[in-house]
Amino acid sequence: MTPEEESDALLDALAAGELPDSADPAARVLAVLVGEVLDQRRSSVSMTPST
Amino acid sequence: MTTGRINAGIMPIVSEGSVADAKIGVRLASRLPARTDDSDLRELTSLAVQGDRTAIESLLGELRPMVVRYCRARLGRVSGQYHIADDVAQEVCIAVLSALPRYRDMGRPFASFVFGIASHKVADALRSSVRSAVPTQDLPDGPDDGPGPEETVVRYIEVEHARRLLARLPRNQRELLLLRVVSGLSAEETGNVLGMSPGAVRVAQHRALARLRQMAELESA
Repeated sequence: MTPEEESDALLDALAAGELPDSADPAARVLAVLVGEVLDQRRSSVSMTPST
Repeated sequence: MTTGRINAGIMPIVSEGSVADAKIGVRLASRLPARTDDSDLRELTSLAVQGDRTAIESLLGELRPMVVRYCRARLGRVSGQYHIADDVAQEVCIAVLSALPRYRDMGRPFASFVFGIASHKVADALRSSVRSAVPTQDLPDGPDDGPGPEETVVRYIEVEHARRLLARLPRNQRELLLLRVVSGLSAEETGNVLGMSPGAVRVAQHRALARLRQMAELESA
């Protein structure tokens, strides 16, 4: 696997909510961001108008 | 009745090509729930364009989480809430719905069209100097099972650190990583949004990761 292919696989894994290498600082940074935006607890989006 | 037309009004024809040509920035979406196969998505889009209500609902159900994550990643929280980002995501979905009858398949993924719109909406929101009032959450009736104050602070610091590092990346690299990771677009889809070949995306994302890694290591040294 080439370095570019490894990076591609890493990004695919992060997009799927996985952190394949917790020692990778770049992966950790992106995982934090993904985890943050997936916080559904504070979601206010709805396609149904509120009443 | 299972189908219905969306009112096209007098708006001009909009195609994913025209959006891509508009030099939009780039953005993302995500994919934690398994995404519909590309060919299925194309079929779904075709039915939705024809006004099939079930297809429209399915298409929105597929795209909305990606748009929400993209808007959240780009706009962040205001007063600890995602209301602004979520409102923009809502606007994107409405804009997609409005443009759907005029959409023409130019052979590019529908996601390119959607994230072109999302890119514009986020840019509008970032330019806007007027921030609407931020609603507060209702007081809970029972115990809050969310993270405690310490965990919340630690998380906040981590997120701000991540945002700061990403902000130091060149715009194109930042957009690319957000589209790939937060929105969950494939290299091919990301390339369509950014006007790059899949091969160029893979090279660029590798460089972006290397740069992010280097910055993170320097900060922690």
